[in-house]
Amino acid sequence: MTAAALPRFGIEALNVYAGLARITVPELLRGRGLDPGRQANLMMTSRSVGLPVEDPVTNAVNAARPVIAALTPGQRDSIELLVTSTESGLDLSKSVASYVHDYLGLSRNCRLLEVKQACYAATGAVQLAAGYLASGASPGARALIIATDVALTDERAEYAEPATGHGAAAILVGGQPTVLALDFGAFGAYSYETLDSARPTPEFDIADVDRSLFAYLDCLSGSFADYQSRVDGADFVRSFGYLVMHTPFAGLVKAAHRKLMREQGATAAADADFQRRLLPALAYPALVGNLCSGSVYLALASLLDQAEIEAPVRIGLYAYGSGCSSEFFSGIVGPGSAAAIRAMGIGARLAARRELSFAEYRSLLDVTRHCLVPEPDRVIDVTGYHEFLPDGGQHLVYTGSKQYHRRYEWR
Amino acid sequence: MTDNILAAIARSVRTVLPEIGPDQVRQDRSLSDLGCNSVDRAEVVSLTMEDLGIDVPVNAFSGVTDIGTLADLLRAYA
Repeated sequence: MTAAALPRFGIEALNVYAGLARITVPELLRGRGLDPGRQANLMMTSRSVGLPVEDPVTNAVNAARPVIAALTPGQRDSIELLVTSTESGLDLSKSVASYVHDYLGLSRNCRLLEVKQACYAATGAVQLAAGYLASGASPGARALIIATDVALTDERAEYAEPATGHGAAAILVGGQPTVLALDFGAFGAYSYETLDSARPTPEFDIADVDRSLFAYLDCLSGSFADYQSRVDGADFVRSFGYLVMHTPFAGLVKAAHRKLMREQGATAAADADFQRRLLPALAYPALVGNLCSGSVYLALASLLDQAEIEAPVRIGLYAYGSGCSSEFFSGIVGPGSAAAIRAMGIGARLAARRELSFAEYRSLLDVTRHCLVPEPDRVIDVTGYHEFLPDGGQHLVYTGSKQYHRRYEWR
Repeated sequence: MTDNILAAIARSVRTVLPEIGPDQVRQDRSLSDLGCNSVDRAEVVSLTMEDLGIDVPVNAFSGVTDIGTLADLLRAYA
């Protein structure tokens, strides 16, 4: 097969929703009595905070609604696969996707799935979807992959608390890849069992920081080596105009980049290269925190909004999920990618999030950290959160549960 | 052998944190004691393994508490 004959699939549209509230990192460090000097290591300025009227369903729907609204009815009905990727599952059997499918008004001729592999799963779903679409089994079909999560972290997480985000990324995959044309067959995977972070109960996250950072760095080397074995002449320094990485916090991405540059014998160029190829992808993650498997797509949106992309350019992407599984892959972005992201207004929505004091944050956390605990009946007083909601009546909120059936309303 | 490994750890520590003196990297101290944050610790271990040309699985680090036990582990894979 010649290069020209390779199937061309990828991301047609991308939107990120990162909540309605935020707290600055200095305010959170102050409130917890943590060392303010550590902000420089985190390279973060604020993080998104969830509200009691939000959950993995509302985050997913609020991320995907603008993507769906921009489609014709025929295009919407061509979505034949809906996958929610989450480590914030609401039920051991029923998927988040089942609710999301309803509130997005998608066709009944659609597969529904939920996938889980910590912060990697959305990328696995994107790759499987692109491969399925490329098979030609259903010409013209599209797939919607939504990475959606909520934060449960509290003071037990120490310095991970200010780095934890809240929200969702909606990724429309198809044959008109305006946002990112995937390089077909250009990928590298690297996975093995470890317990670096996990969510063993609906109210508790395990975070072995040293093991997790080490595994993240180890998997970048491992997945890129696999990528190199599949792609003739692949070169970390020269093959990619920009880099986009899963961003638990930007300081780790900087260390990972330095490690790869060192392994390529390019240590001297590392700092300038980081500024040029990675910094644009870190702007939004530094305002939001870790969006779990949506993080690499938040970083992609950041790159496309921040960098001035005047001609098609190849980018390298790295997804890592604890446990652990990882992938390095690549694709082409261009001026049309930036225009498509700009139309979503992500930066303006991030700026519009209401800033919380530490006291407000802590009182919200008292409720939201129980978000995933199964309760048959629950009533949420939505009126208490009206001041957070945008105008327009197009925002989905969680109003409570009845006999485990979750209820939502547009506000 | 231990001395070689301790010397490699010391080189890595001083690459990541140049202000640390060579005599401060002792077996009874942890990387945190020396002022390494979580990213620094991951970099010190990665650099040392690259320096020694060894590869230690992530799960093997669970018993490491100080520079002495880190050196013991690296020696087992050297």
